[in-house]
Amino acid sequence: MSRPFSLLRIPLIWRVTLAVALLMILVSAVITERVLNRLGTIQQIYLQSTADSYVNGVNASISSSVINEDSWEIFDVLERLKPTNTAIVPIQTIVTNKAGTILAATDPVKHPSLSQLPEDLISQFSSTAIRISSESALAFLERDIQYQDKKIGKIYTVFDAKTLLNERKEVLTTLILTNALVTALLAFGGFLTVRRMLRPLQTLESHMIEAVDGKAQKILVGSSLARNWEARRLFRAYNSLIEADEQRRELSFKLAEEERLASLGRLSSVMAHEINNPLGGLLNAVDTIRKHGANAQIRDRSVDLLERGLQGIAEVVRGALATYRPDRQSRPLGEGDFHDVKMLISPELRQRNQKLDLETDWDSGFACNLPSGPVRQAMTNLLLNASAASYDHADLLLKVKRSADRLQIEVGDRGGGLPIESVKMLTGQIEKSLPAGKGLGLWVVRQIASELDAKLEVTPRAGGGSIISMALPIEVKPEIENAA
Amino acid sequence: MGELALMRKSTWLSRRSFTGGGASCLFFGNLGASKAAQDNSLRFGLTPVFLNNDLQLLETLKSYLETATGYSVELVSRRTYQEVTALLISGQVDGAWICGYPYIQFKDDLELLAVPEWNGKQLYQSYLIVGTDRNADDITDLRNDIHAFSDPDSNSGFLVTRSLMFEHGFQPETFFRKTLYTYGHRNVIRAVASGLAQSGSVDGYVWEVMLEMEPELVSRTRILRKSQWLGFPPIATSVKFAGSQKIHLLQTALIDMANNAQGRQVLELFKLTGFGLPQEANFDGIAQMVSKLREVL
Repeated sequence: MSRPFSLLRIPLIWRVTLAVALLMILVSAVITERVLNRLGTIQQIYLQSTADSYVNGVNASISSSVINEDSWEIFDVLERLKPTNTAIVPIQTIVTNKAGTILAATDPVKHPSLSQLPEDLISQFSSTAIRISSESALAFLERDIQYQDKKIGKIYTVFDAKTLLNERKEVLTTLILTNALVTALLAFGGFLTVRRMLRPLQTLESHMIEAVDGKAQKILVGSSLARNWEARRLFRAYNSLIEADEQRRELSFKLAEEERLASLGRLSSVMAHEINNPLGGLLNAVDTIRKHGANAQIRDRSVDLLERGLQGIAEVVRGALATYRPDRQSRPLGEGDFHDVKMLISPELRQRNQKLDLETDWDSGFACNLPSGPVRQAMTNLLLNASAASYDHADLLLKVKRSADRLQIEVGDRGGGLPIESVKMLTGQIEKSLPAGKGLGLWVVRQIASELDAKLEVTPRAGGGSIISMALPIEVKPEIENAA
Repeated sequence: MGELALMRKSTWLSRRSFTGGGASCLFFGNLGASKAAQDNSLRFGLTPVFLNNDLQLLETLKSYLETATGYSVELVSRRTYQEVTALLISGQVDGAWICGYPYIQFKDDLELLAVPEWNGKQLYQSYLIVGTDRNADDITDLRNDIHAFSDPDSNSGFLVTRSLMFEHGFQPETFFRKTLYTYGHRNVIRAVASGLAQSGSVDGYVWEVMLEMEPELVSRTRILRKSQWLGFPPIATSVKFAGSQKIHLLQTALIDMANNAQGRQVLELFKLTGFGLPQEANFDGIAQMVSKLREVL
């Protein structure tokens, strides 16, 4: 389902442009309304005064003729007084007597003398104020003809208001065009300005996106993008951030390496202990053979002892080699890796009389694309951590479950539960910086899980303790699967 | 022309007036007489029969008369025949171009100096005109019209039509729905052309001249009826001034107009061929109409 439209989804640069355009349209609308309103008022005043002066002039000139009902004199006055150089021109003037009978009109054919003025025409006039009809582009004005304060007739005048209305229309058109042009220019200017202002931010954004993808690069402060001091300061700050991050990464790498070496040292010491323990027995066996080698029974027992002791040492050495030989780091994970890890951890477990149950759901022909090195490292760290957290004689768990698209490795302990910080470190937002104090082993596990796009989960274990699950996405190699 | 005669004519003028025009004619009568006689100027009256709104025409006429008479000429225009006739009779102008109808009315007080010649004749006609699209054949079809007359003292612009109506037995109060006096032959044409009036009575000379000068206006009218040939509006003077040196010079200037380049320029503007000595018989037709209508006017 598509999300509803939101202005916030529009890029900032277009939002600003749109805002400028909308603002200008609003301003233009207000200005246009005010100008047209004012123009309308001025035109109304002008029209009224012009019409008044015309009608008053006619009125003064014809009053005596109206008394005498002298149609010719009235007609002659109307002909002579017809203004031609004003914005409004009377196109029709009709003079009636008191009874409403037409005495004379500028168009006698249309309004013959002695006829009555049509009612529909009379209805167009409204008192003494001029009325403009936008539809017909005409203006209507009527005026009583007074003589010695007595009404003796009426003048009806129809003006052609087309010029004024056209003027208003022209002003409206000019305003709209001008405002549209100004709006377009300002919007375009706003677009350019904002684009220029945002360019450093866009550069920063693209570098940050690249940084998220692990391709962090510094911004060239001296480039044309950093035109102003704010942009330069921003870029320098970003570059400092990148440098600091790189330093932290290097430090993290070093620490991780040191942690690996430390765990290796720890295992080595245990391994040395494992090798040293049988060494006494082996040397005794050698002495026994040397002294009682002639005794076949003793010799055979001693040789058996030697063989078992040497096999034990060989297993320890093989496990160490499998874990730390660089050429084995990137080979695909196999079932043997789990046994190797168990072998590797076994000296540590023996010291505390702990037991590790290894359960694998791994067909003999199954192969996947996971690199063995990081996975073994993660399992080793989790098991070392589980061993340390559990009591002596505890039964630890290493369980491998396989599904179509993932491989789930579970490490169970019998401890009192993981501290909140450790759970957060494993399942929360990945911490690029190293944790303070202990917990480096789990931090390394989190980093490995992140690199392998694996999901970590902490759940309680039946009978006490915790289970840390690592779900690794896998791509099954079909030829091997099919070959199986 | 005695004071008594002037009083008689003034009474007639007052009866025809609805404002104080007649009274003012009396008031200016004595004052004007002395004014016209005292100075060295020549005052010449004009009536709306001419296209007197043409300033160039008036200026050219004035210039010619000044050159020809040696007097400083003042052209006096009035709106109505009544006013100009009053000025002439009262002596406020030395001479005036009036209409044949006022001449017949005030024949005893006036003396003709010259008569314009149009197409070589001292005659013209009265036209009864209607709108171009008007469906009418004669005056009987003009019943209930709004009719435009030029002037109640105009021969062609009133008297001829009024006489025709009289002949048909039409009462002007009932035959026409309304009558207008436009005080100008050009205005009669405007009234009919615009549709303000459905018909009009106009000077045939003016109609024909205007047809050349303003064809767009005049072509919106058509001639329904032409009258008989009548005496062209003459130039007259008051009998008081007849025989004086100034009037003699004025008459000579008019008669000689066709023989002078400047005069021909004036004639060209008036679309006339010249001025001739009056032939009284030409006004008999007008006199007969006046006589016929004496009882009803």
